[in-house]
Amino acid sequence: MSRAPRPEAALGKQTQGTPGRWRRLVRVACLMAAGIALWPALPAWDTALYVTALSPFVAAFSLLAARAWPATAGLGLAIGLATLVRHRLFCRWLCPLGVCLEAAGGVGRRLGRPPWHGLRVGPWIVLLTAGGALLGYPFLLWLDPLAIFAGLFDALARAREPLAWFGALGFAGTMVLSLLWPGLWCVRLCPLGALQDLLMQARRFLRSRAVWKTSGAAPRDGVPQPVRRALLGVAAGTILAETTRAIPRPAHPLRPPGARAEPQFTGLCTRCGNCLRACPSRIIRLDLGSSGLAGLLTPTLSFERDYCREDCVRCTHVCPSRALAPMPPEGKPQARIGRPQVDMSLCLLGNDRDCAACARWCPYGAIRYVFSEQEYTLRPQIDPDCCNGCGACQVACPTRPRKAIVIRAADHG
Amino acid sequence: MSDRMNRRQWMQMLGLSGLTASVGALGTRATRAQGVGESSGFQSSVITTHKVQTERANARLVDGKVIQPQRELPILDTTDVLVVGGGPAGVVAALAARRAGARVTLVERYGHFGGLWTGGLVLLVIGHIVKGGKQVCQGIGEEIMRRLDKLDGAIMDRRPGVNPTVDAEAVKYVMVEMIEEAGVRVFLHSWGVDAIVEGNAVQGAVFESKSGRRAILAKVTVDATGDGDIFAAAGAEFEHRSHNVGLVSRIGNLDRVDASKTGGAPKPKHLGSRTPVPGVNWVNLHGPEVDGLDVATLTRLEMSHRKFIWQNIQKMRQTPGYEKVYLMETAPQLGVRITRVLHGLHRIALADLKAGTKFPDVVGVGGSENGGHGEWPIPYGSLVPVRAENVLAAGRCIDVEIRMADLVRLIPNCFVTGHAAGVAAAVAAQDGCRPRDVEVAKVQRILRQQEAYLG
Repeated sequence: MSRAPRPEAALGKQTQGTPGRWRRLVRVACLMAAGIALWPALPAWDTALYVTALSPFVAAFSLLAARAWPATAGLGLAIGLATLVRHRLFCRWLCPLGVCLEAAGGVGRRLGRPPWHGLRVGPWIVLLTAGGALLGYPFLLWLDPLAIFAGLFDALARAREPLAWFGALGFAGTMVLSLLWPGLWCVRLCPLGALQDLLMQARRFLRSRAVWKTSGAAPRDGVPQPVRRALLGVAAGTILAETTRAIPRPAHPLRPPGARAEPQFTGLCTRCGNCLRACPSRIIRLDLGSSGLAGLLTPTLSFERDYCREDCVRCTHVCPSRALAPMPPEGKPQARIGRPQVDMSLCLLGNDRDCAACARWCPYGAIRYVFSEQEYTLRPQIDPDCCNGCGACQVACPTRPRKAIVIRAADHG
Repeated sequence: MSDRMNRRQWMQMLGLSGLTASVGALGTRATRAQGVGESSGFQSSVITTHKVQTERANARLVDGKVIQPQRELPILDTTDVLVVGGGPAGVVAALAARRAGARVTLVERYGHFGGLWTGGLVLLVIGHIVKGGKQVCQGIGEEIMRRLDKLDGAIMDRRPGVNPTVDAEAVKYVMVEMIEEAGVRVFLHSWGVDAIVEGNAVQGAVFESKSGRRAILAKVTVDATGDGDIFAAAGAEFEHRSHNVGLVSRIGNLDRVDASKTGGAPKPKHLGSRTPVPGVNWVNLHGPEVDGLDVATLTRLEMSHRKFIWQNIQKMRQTPGYEKVYLMETAPQLGVRITRVLHGLHRIALADLKAGTKFPDVVGVGGSENGGHGEWPIPYGSLVPVRAENVLAAGRCIDVEIRMADLVRLIPNCFVTGHAAGVAAAVAAQDGCRPRDVEVAKVQRILRQQEAYLG
C-alpha cells in the first residue's frame, strides 16, 4: 500500500502550494479553449468532440465496450500514456473542470470547510466501469469529468430549453461538493484522476516485479493486494453492469441516428451533451426517466417542432464514446431512428379531408396515399425501405393536439 | 328571307363553300325569336324551320376514318383579354384584368361561376393562411370573402387563422354580382376547346356551345381551365399527371340525428363537415388516382362514386339515430384535382419553400392547407409557358412540381394566381407586348393597388 501513489501529494502542488505562474496560465487557457470548443456557435461544429475525447477514462473503456476504434480515441490514450510519465498530468495541466472545482474549493476553505478524509471511491469507479466495459456496458462512464464539464454547456447554449438545464446537473453537483468539502471530487471521487493513480500504481508495481526478478527475491505473498483489489473491482463491475442492464425500462425512447442497441447505448453514453448541442434542428432532449434510471439524462429525440434532417449527421460525429456510431451523410437514409405509426381515427384522410402534408414533407419520398376501395378513402402508405423515421411527417402532420402520424422506436413492441 | 340573304352575303363575302347552315344566323334569329315569342302569346314559338341543307361541314366518314372538314368559325367577340374557365382563378383573373382597364371576355363551360368551389362543392376554403394564422391571400379573393361575410348564411368560421366554409349558391351569386359590376363580357355554357394560333402565338380561343363552334379573338388569353386545355392546344409544353378524382356530396338532416338513440356508438363514416346551411354537411371523397383527362375513366368514376355515395347513405340511415339523414345532392362536377401542369419559365418547388427563397418577379404569395408552414412566393415565370406566346396559365395548372401541386390547387391560391395572370394579361394587352416581356414592376404595382399581398 505504501507503493500506491498519493493523489494528494500530486495535487497538493496545486491545491496548497502556489502553482507556478506558467502552469496557472496554461490551465486557464485550457479552460477557455474548452469553453470555446464546446460552445455550439462555432462554425466548426465538431470541436466539442476534441474536448471530450481527451479523457483516457472515456477513450479506454468506450474502446473496450464498443469494440470499435474511434478516430479520436488516440487522443485520450496518448494522454493516458503521458500520465504514466508524469503522475496526474491531466489534472495538473489540462482539466477544465478541475480549475472550476479548485476555485469552488478555495471559497469553501475560506469559509472554513474541512477537507474530506473518507474512502477513496475513484479507483472503485474505474474498476467497476472496467468490469462493465468488458461486457460492453461501461455504466459509470458518465462520471468522466470532461463529460460533466461539457454538460454545463447544454444549459449555457440551450438556456431557453428548461430540459437542457439538467445537463448541467453534474457540474453543479461537483461544484457544491467542492464547496462543502474542498478537494473531495478531485482527490477521492474523480474516475479520471483515479485512473491516473491506478496507471501509476500499475507502473510501480510492474517495476517492483522487475526488481524482484533481477534480484531473485520472491514475492512475499500469493497475489499482491493491488491486483486482488483490481480483480475484485472488475468482477463486481461485471455483476453490477449486468444488474443495471437488466433493469426493466418503462418505455423505449427514440434515439439519435446511429445509436447503438438500447441497453448498450445507455451504458456507453457519457451524457456529455455533445450531440444535443451539435443538433441544428434542436430535437435532442435529455431523458428524465422515460427510459428508466439507467437511461437518465441520455439523449432522446422529440419531433414536436423539427425533424432529423436528411443531410445532417453531426451528432454521430461528436460522440466521444461511440454510443452513436459516426456515419457519412450518404448513410443517413439507412440510419433507422424509428417507424411511423398512423392513427386513422386522427388522420384527416380518415375523415375524408384532403391533406398531403406528410407526403409533401417526407424527405425520402416514402409516403404515398393509396385509395382503398373497401373504405372508399385514401390512407397513407409508408414504404419501410425508404423511411428512416426522421420525423418530418410527424412535424408536418396538422392534427392537434395529438398527431395522426407518430414515430415510434423501431424495435418497440 | 332576311336569313337566307344574310347567309348568301356571308358566303359571297368570304368566298368559301362548306359553311354550316347555322353559321352566321345567330344575331338575326335571336331578334326574330324574341319578336315571334312576344307576339304569339304562347310559351313557345317557332324560331326557324330547318329543311334539308346541302352545304354542311359535318364530320365525314372517309375510308373508315372520321374526317372533320375545314371550315370557318364565326368570330363572336374581339377583346383584349380572354379568360377561359370561370372558376376561382378565372373569375378573379377576369375581374383583375377588367379593373386594370382591359376589355375582358370570360368563357365558362358550365352554367355558373366558381368551378370546383361551387360546381364541385369543395366548400372548405383552405390555403389562405400560413403559420401563426397570417392570411396571405388578399386582393380580389379576399374581396369575394368579404362580400360573402355580408350575406346571411353564406360563410362560416371566418376567424383569423381558421379555414372558413362557404355556401356554394352564395358564391355563385356573389361572383355574378362582381362580374356584372366590373363589366366583364361573359359566355356561359361555352366549353373552351381550342386555341387560335398564329405561329406560336395564341390569338384567342375556340369554344363549343349550343350555338355551335365559335371563336373569340383576344390579345392575351388566360388559361384558367384547370386542365390547361388552351395552352395544351396551343402547343405549350406540359406535364400530364394523375391524381385522385372524387365526387363531393351534401347530406341533410344532420340536425335531426337523435343522440339518445346512438348509444355512445362511434359516428358513421363519411359524415363530412358542417356548412353554413343548418343540418347540412358536405362530404368530401378522395377517389382513386387516375388520369383525369380520360373520358372513359371520368365516366366510370361518376358512376361508381354515385353508387358508393347512395349506398353509404343507405347504410348510414340504418345506424340508430341517423334514420332521417338523406342525400341532398352529388356535385355537378367531378372532383378532378390535377391533370395538366404547364412547363413554364419557373417551377414552384418545395425546396424554395423550405429555403424561403425570394423571387424578384413575385406576383403573389401562396398559403398552406392547414397553416402549418410559412408563405411561399409565386413568381410570374410559373404562369408563363416556355413555348407558346400570348397565353398565361392561372389556377392549378401553373408550373409546379408534384409535391407542391396540392398547395397550388387550393382555392385561395387559385385566387392569387388568377389575380396575377389577370393583371399581367391586361398590362401585356395595353402595352402591346408579349406576356413574357411584360414589365413585372408595373404588374406588381397594379396588384398592390388592387390590394394583393406580394410578401
